[in-house]
Amino acid sequence: MSASTLPAEFADLEPFIDWALATEQERTGQRLASSMEDIQAFYDRMSARVEAVMAYLNALPLDALPPEAERLFHLSLSLMEVANAVEMFQNPAVINGFDVRRFAPVEDV
Amino acid sequence: MRTVIADKRWAEKYPEIGTGPVSAEPLISPEHFELDRENIFRRTWLNIGRVEEVPNPGDYIAKDLAMCRASVLIIRGRDGAVRGFHNVCSHRGNKLVWDEKGTCKGTLTCGFHAWAYNTRGELTWVPDEENFFDLPKCDLGLTPVHTEVFEGFIFIHLAERPPESLRAYLGGVADQLEGGGFGELALTARYKVDEHANWKIALDAQNELYHLPFQHRRTIPKFCVLKDGQFTRLLDVRLFNHHSMYSSDPPDDRVGPATERLAARFSVAETEHRLPRIGSFDFYTIFPNMALLLFRGVSHDFYMSYNFWPQAVDRTDWDIKLYFRPAENAGQRVGQEYFKCLLRDLLQEDATAHEQIHIGLASRAKKELYFQDEEMQIRYFHTVLERFYAEAPPYSLGGPTERREGEGAR
Repeated sequence: MSASTLPAEFADLEPFIDWALATEQERTGQRLASSMEDIQAFYDRMSARVEAVMAYLNALPLDALPPEAERLFHLSLSLMEVANAVEMFQNPAVINGFDVRRFAPVEDV
Repeated sequence: MRTVIADKRWAEKYPEIGTGPVSAEPLISPEHFELDRENIFRRTWLNIGRVEEVPNPGDYIAKDLAMCRASVLIIRGRDGAVRGFHNVCSHRGNKLVWDEKGTCKGTLTCGFHAWAYNTRGELTWVPDEENFFDLPKCDLGLTPVHTEVFEGFIFIHLAERPPESLRAYLGGVADQLEGGGFGELALTARYKVDEHANWKIALDAQNELYHLPFQHRRTIPKFCVLKDGQFTRLLDVRLFNHHSMYSSDPPDDRVGPATERLAARFSVAETEHRLPRIGSFDFYTIFPNMALLLFRGVSHDFYMSYNFWPQAVDRTDWDIKLYFRPAENAGQRVGQEYFKCLLRDLLQEDATAHEQIHIGLASRAKKELYFQDEEMQIRYFHTVLERFYAEAPPYSLGGPTERREGEGAR
């Protein structure tokens, strides 16, 4: 992706742009396919920035976010996706978790 | 803190439920599974969905109920009414609608020979009708299924004459939840879990909090008030005519992980919206196969529903739905995502356990279950099961109905 996919003040998050994913299924897939080092790096940077991100996004209408802001929003959703991997499991997947193919999101709503 | 940390309060409150071991056989035997089918699923109200799933005239949902050997169609008519039918064409019995949800412009057409029905279930069009023999078209509408709605929850009853109304069946649960404002929340996530476990094993495993500090030691070990820092103590347990409720509060000093605290801050709204909760977390078991979970949110409460749909004695479709009040901004939506992912991950811990319990019980190495006082509501569920199992002769669809009496809500 180009270097200008996020709002300018959040350019420091560009290295993590692969986490800007629109659906839960994609975000879970990225979590499960990533190493713990990569998850930790994303978690650390995004956690430090997410309050500034929310202040930025909350000033915009949620249902009409410009593309750059929407990517930022999706990065924030990915932080929520990986939080448990870092804070609870120290592992990308749920420890003793269920086969995710048999625990499927029906509708990404 | 409102929770009383004391032992054996619920056995004291409900002495008639008993305290002894309970047979494990209903959880694994094919004979009990057939009793589940004949004595329970065909003679109780079953939750199929919510009215928001059929918002407009012509919208429908269809569900195959393997347990009832039936397929049910719920459709909103042009007059706005929600009706239920057997999803079966009158011509040669083909399943009318094959997709799980959809919308029509007033007419549903069978894919086999294009027999067409309106949203009231009336047969309106038969191709090559003149070539039939005195077709009694007015009598050939879809077969109705008793359908009633409580607070937006759509229930069906497959008996020819349900022994009681949905409101009477829900009894004390309805008293507590009536006017609850569930319609102000929207479906935000849904999971379908294909479990290799009996439906009652899955439900029983959800129907208590005793396991939280242990099975969920990584996820929510301190979610509820604990005795000696390790054993749950419920705020309340209530038993209704067929159903139950347990309620819990978190300890006053509970501090969640860093991202939970962030998510809580993001979830603050200018207005509050509360569901009719008793504690911070209420869990209703609505007999036979539904659970309703009410959560205290930061500003806006949220809820989940479970429907455990038996497919075979050792196979269950666990339908999980999560409802939030629509987010007003990105922060609230991100906060919802945190709580959704937390619930999903810990339910994955549970789903794994359900299958392990089934393997353990199916060995018949253990013939009885031992319930402690914090598991009173499971003991009661088994009491209700036995009550239905004991009712002979097994009920059959279209057969005589017997009126149930003397089972008022407590």
